[in-house]
Amino acid sequence: MAGGKEVRTKIASVKNTQKITKAMEMVAASKMRKAQDRMLAARPYSEKIRNVISHLAHANPEYKHPYLVTREEVKRIGLIVVSTDRGLCGGLNANMFRMLLKKIQNWEIEGKEIDLCVIGTKAAGFFGSIGVNIIGQVTHIGDEPNPEELIGTIMIMLNAYRDGDIDEVHLVSNQFVNSMVQTPVIQQLVPGEPDEKENYASYWDYIYEPDAEEVLDGFLSRYIESQVYAGVIENISCEMAARMVAMKSATENAGALIDELQLIYNKARQAAITQELSEIVAGAAAV
Amino acid sequence: MSSGKIVQIIGAVLDVEFPSDAIPNIYDALIVEGEGVSTTLEVQQQLGDGIVRTIALGSTDGLQRGLSVRNTGEAISIPVGGKTLGRIMNVLGESIDEKGPIDTDEHMVIHREAPKFTELSPSTELLETGVKVIDLIIPFAKGGKVGLFGGAGVGKTVNMMELINNIATQHSGLSVFAGVGERTREGNDFYYEMQESGVVNVDDFEKSKVSMVYGQMNEPPGNRLRVALTGLTLAEKFRDEGRDVLLFIDNIYRFTLAGVECSALLGRMPSAVGYQPTLAEEMGRLQERITSTKTGSITSIQAVYVPADDLTDPSPATTFSHLDSTVVLSRQIAELGLYPAIDPLDSTSRQLDPLVVGQEHYDVARGVQNTLQRYKELRDIIAILGMDELSEEDKLVVSRARKIQRFLTQPYFVAKVFTGLDGEFVPLKETLRGFKEIIEGQHDDIPEQAFYNVGTIDQVLEKAKGL
Repeated sequence: MAGGKEVRTKIASVKNTQKITKAMEMVAASKMRKAQDRMLAARPYSEKIRNVISHLAHANPEYKHPYLVTREEVKRIGLIVVSTDRGLCGGLNANMFRMLLKKIQNWEIEGKEIDLCVIGTKAAGFFGSIGVNIIGQVTHIGDEPNPEELIGTIMIMLNAYRDGDIDEVHLVSNQFVNSMVQTPVIQQLVPGEPDEKENYASYWDYIYEPDAEEVLDGFLSRYIESQVYAGVIENISCEMAARMVAMKSATENAGALIDELQLIYNKARQAAITQELSEIVAGAAAV
Repeated sequence: MSSGKIVQIIGAVLDVEFPSDAIPNIYDALIVEGEGVSTTLEVQQQLGDGIVRTIALGSTDGLQRGLSVRNTGEAISIPVGGKTLGRIMNVLGESIDEKGPIDTDEHMVIHREAPKFTELSPSTELLETGVKVIDLIIPFAKGGKVGLFGGAGVGKTVNMMELINNIATQHSGLSVFAGVGERTREGNDFYYEMQESGVVNVDDFEKSKVSMVYGQMNEPPGNRLRVALTGLTLAEKFRDEGRDVLLFIDNIYRFTLAGVECSALLGRMPSAVGYQPTLAEEMGRLQERITSTKTGSITSIQAVYVPADDLTDPSPATTFSHLDSTVVLSRQIAELGLYPAIDPLDSTSRQLDPLVVGQEHYDVARGVQNTLQRYKELRDIIAILGMDELSEEDKLVVSRARKIQRFLTQPYFVAKVFTGLDGEFVPLKETLRGFKEIIEGQHDDIPEQAFYNVGTIDQVLEKAKGL
């Protein structure tokens, strides 16, 4: 039988792959639910704090914190890139990298240089291979990340900002629209941007206790940490959703492949049977 | 000479009874002498009691038992030498181009011994074909044997015609074309194309450079079984005169098939897949004679039909072992619209050796094969998980492999009616440069369509500008 054995082995191997992708699909589905809960739990805090920051940016305080001052000349941009640690999640990382690369190219044309802090092995691998300047990285943060693990990278960025090495800090992550759609977004962290939607009638300011510098220092650090943390949490939800969809289609593709191979196998098998029969009959007739 | 009588006729096989003191030898030619018939027979078996079993080389229509048969006392002999140039003959050496009989004293019998071991001459000189994939992966040697393997309708004949166009018309030596069991139309087309290109000169046969022998699919099995030998005998004569000869045989499988048709009638038990039990012997007898000696060379290019696209079928499998280079045409590649549909991974050549082609050529060829092999392995992953799951290096390999696949195509001179493009003869140097640059990644930024159906890498760059 021409190739019968090879086809059978191949069918078996595709079937094994299909089992794995099927299992991964179900695991991703249940993890996604948990990740979504975590994301929703983190959301009110991060939204409120962003709200307050945008108020602050609009305010006319006696003390201007450096995180709120837009620098006139932007020479160097720092990016915190949130990616996944593991693959097999469809085009989630690839889409984000593609968008980011385009953006980086634009920035470079404008003469701005780029520094990266990467979260997740996929971004570390990708940007490491294309030779972008990476100043910090965190990998293997797991499905339930701890803010403490992220603070290191954030501090690197903020220190660089404070020292004047970089003039803007952006967060790049995936936004969870629904379980089918995730879109990569770039969000400016520092300097804090005023919210354009709200309308402020007059000049005003908060009253700080004990003094503005101390309050804003702590507050703004918390704000940035919370934004990055929220981005990471959301990215995990995206990862699980993307993996679920990717594995679902992989399982379907494997099924189609098995059907195709099965057809080839059945044909080869039938051809061999027919040939043997006709040889026996012809042989018997010749004798 | 002695004469006998027909005692049995079954299809193409006839039994003839001779007086017991004048039994013809095996392979002797007999001639049936009836009213209006003169069929030639060839002795295959001696059955005893003066009866010999023969194959008819020609139609057995109108023959009957009792007709008288004359023994010629020797095997079929055909006219050979310079007078056959520009002419078409059949298996018996009779001219079939309606230009009168072939007027020569030189005759040779078609059954001969293969040259002795000590007479053979190895050759490592390369033969440039102008076809990128062949020059790169499957380099031909002068005096070597090449097989074009392919299933139905993947382009064996087109490839052979292109090789004839690129090699034979530029070749200073002589050529022999043997049409074995293929379409009569193709033989006719070939004749007129050769006239157009001046290789056949009907006004002055002396100036022609090709002899043709046809035993096409309308002829009885006996003719198709022996016509390859007739063509080969012509080539052997030229070789023994010290010439470099190109021998084209289209299609060697029909020779096997004619053997199958006769075999059962001769009373042999069918062997695997219904082939004759003497398959390997028959093939060996023919193939061992197609060889270069110290006096002259025969470079042979043979088309081999592959039944049901199965290369393990006994007939192509037996042919494989006799060849120096095997060009495998693949249906999968033809289905992608990539012509010539030569499979760069299945095709092999003994000449692809750093000591023969040089280190650079070898490295480029292996680099191309490695890239394509990697792509083949990745295809299952892509089919199940999609492109996005590949690592950056693998994505690069895939994109280069797809470019290589397309760059392996090229427009053929003889396929102008299909593609609407003028043919390209790509020098080996350009071929090597093009593939080397692709593997090195110098053209990673050029879209893959630009590589499709062009000649040199410079033409790729030119085409890319227009996209």
